[in-house]
Amino acid sequence: MYAYNQYDQALVDQRVDQYRDQTRRYLAGEIPEDEFRILRLMNGLYIQRLAPMLRVAIPYGLMKSEQLRTMAEISRVYDKGYGHFTTRQNMQFNWPTLESVPDILADLAKVQMHAIQTSGACIRNTTTDPFAGVSADEIEDTRPWCELIRQWSSLHPEFAYLPRKFKIAVSGSASDRAASQVHDVGLHLYRNDAGEVGFEVLVGGGLGRTPVIGKTVKKFLEPQELLSYLEAVLRVYNLNGRRDNKYKARIKILVNALGVDTFGEMVEAEWEQLKGGELRLPWSEIDRVKGFFTGPDYLAVEHAQNDLADAFAQHPQFATWYRQNTRDHKQDGYRIVVVALKNQLQAPGDVSHQQMDGMAALADEFSFGELRSTHDQNLVLADVAQRDLLALWSKLQDIDLARANVGTLTDMINCPGLDFCSLANAETLVLSRQINETFDDMDYQYDIGDIQLKISGCINACGHHHVGHIGVLGVEKGGKQVYQFTLGGSANEDASLGKTLGRSIEQDQVVVVIGQILDVYVELRQTDETFLQLVRRVGFAPFKERVYGTHQRSAA
Amino acid sequence: MALIKDQQLSLEHAATPELRFADWLSDGSNNADAVLANGDDDLPSLFTNASKLSMIALEFDTFADGRGFSMARMLRRAGFQGEIRAVGDVAMDRIDFMQRVGFNAFELRDDQDVTQVLSKFGEVTVHFQPSADGNGPAYMA
Repeated sequence: MYAYNQYDQALVDQRVDQYRDQTRRYLAGEIPEDEFRILRLMNGLYIQRLAPMLRVAIPYGLMKSEQLRTMAEISRVYDKGYGHFTTRQNMQFNWPTLESVPDILADLAKVQMHAIQTSGACIRNTTTDPFAGVSADEIEDTRPWCELIRQWSSLHPEFAYLPRKFKIAVSGSASDRAASQVHDVGLHLYRNDAGEVGFEVLVGGGLGRTPVIGKTVKKFLEPQELLSYLEAVLRVYNLNGRRDNKYKARIKILVNALGVDTFGEMVEAEWEQLKGGELRLPWSEIDRVKGFFTGPDYLAVEHAQNDLADAFAQHPQFATWYRQNTRDHKQDGYRIVVVALKNQLQAPGDVSHQQMDGMAALADEFSFGELRSTHDQNLVLADVAQRDLLALWSKLQDIDLARANVGTLTDMINCPGLDFCSLANAETLVLSRQINETFDDMDYQYDIGDIQLKISGCINACGHHHVGHIGVLGVEKGGKQVYQFTLGGSANEDASLGKTLGRSIEQDQVVVVIGQILDVYVELRQTDETFLQLVRRVGFAPFKERVYGTHQRSAA
Repeated sequence: MALIKDQQLSLEHAATPELRFADWLSDGSNNADAVLANGDDDLPSLFTNASKLSMIALEFDTFADGRGFSMARMLRRAGFQGEIRAVGDVAMDRIDFMQRVGFNAFELRDDQDVTQVLSKFGEVTVHFQPSADGNGPAYMA
């Protein structure tokens, strides 16, 4: 993975000093509250319901084991011994003090990490496919391009006070594992008919109050002009995005108001001035960055591979885990291992300091010392030799991270909800607990198969409920927490927004309704039909009938 | 109100203009060469008329309004060599970014300590973007 040079290191070190001085002046009463609010947010520090929350950047989800170990240590020293992986591949600490943040940042800087632009109205951490560089279906590795975007966007002087936050996601495979169609900018690396690799650029996707699927603004962008084009998009947005209402300030609102064609023309006009200029990436620079992502020293297939048939026979649970939690690798003899942070006892995405240390050790032992975080709040060991899988599985059990539920109902996305967040209207963690208690039969989950359940505690949609196959949105009505269901959403290459099923459901009925929805699926599905396919085929009527239907009430 | 210009405390300088660019534009006979502008102005005509002006003061109504950053950058690109003065909510914590996009003068609030503000130039010396101050990305050096 990318390693800092003297410039990267100087930037984060100087940024720590800068933030330390800002904190000192704030505590001394020298910076007004609303000014400091913007400054601390640009550095990932929120003030939550119970304590500040610090969001640490994990650029495009890539970590070295020593970085995860440092985060474990930070959680012990400054927090309550755990952290939380977000849907944008970052790490959140829920209990640091405001005064300790400069020290945390200094500790992070020692392992080439920071919290720069993890919040605020600026360009956020760029996210990507957690299988970048290793998946069998990849067209082009996204990581070098993410790194180039990281550098360009870091402390960009012009775009620190945008109308609203700005999120970029990059996908480089036929399968979209980066939710790129629901980002402010989605970039698709692909090969055109002439055989050249370039970007399709989508703009104006997003969730929140106004969910929108991104629209294509440029069909093919020459990769050397990636940064000049992004700069043109950002400049048009910075000058024209609404600033009078924060709920109408995202670029999606601007794109919808102008129409994507007009917006695209404005970008082209600005880009005319930029392309071929200083922002054009020379191949020497692209190749330098690509050089950091050449892949590890894989074993020859005859050394990496071994026949797993005996192990499967001896350990049926290992066979299940292999089927459910590992994926095809482009390198013969290797597998991609997804480690679900979705066990029965912890909130989705939460990870204890022991688990962080444990995962760091397993990365060192089995996956070249690197890890990735995923959009759906799991971890990935990307390069595991087949011969090591049994040992890895066994050691994952020691840290309660061997649950074979990737892609199933309990592999849900969940925002922290009212338990932590000052924006939330409803609890969400109680739902993930109830769902885990109710649907604890793994064979039932395997029978249901691929399903994405996504839960948000408010309309800001951090839990991505709009793009869940089943989405659950917590709202407050008359002092009670109730939940709206949506069905049929997807964040993948077939992206779509779920539609509301009907009136909202009381908290203690949520698992009942999920069970009813799944019953309808089991009854109506055809051979090999997934839940999402069925919803798209049969529509909402049978689900409405089951959940709200009058015949049940009259029968009771 | 103190003014910092070209990274020094400026003791003698023109007052910040009160004439708004829109008024300057509509009055064709106007021979004033300093105007006040902000993100609500007609930007293409500001850029085409910039060569007739010696000073453009860009207003920051609120700390969160970042339009002036792009305006300064585009004015410099259009070849404007006069003074671009930041007025309004000009806090020391953004002065370095402002300079990088093309501002060369800063009108400070009375509560701001000039020495402290001056120390904020170049607080972060590494840049990863080309900018109006002529410094290219570090990796191109």
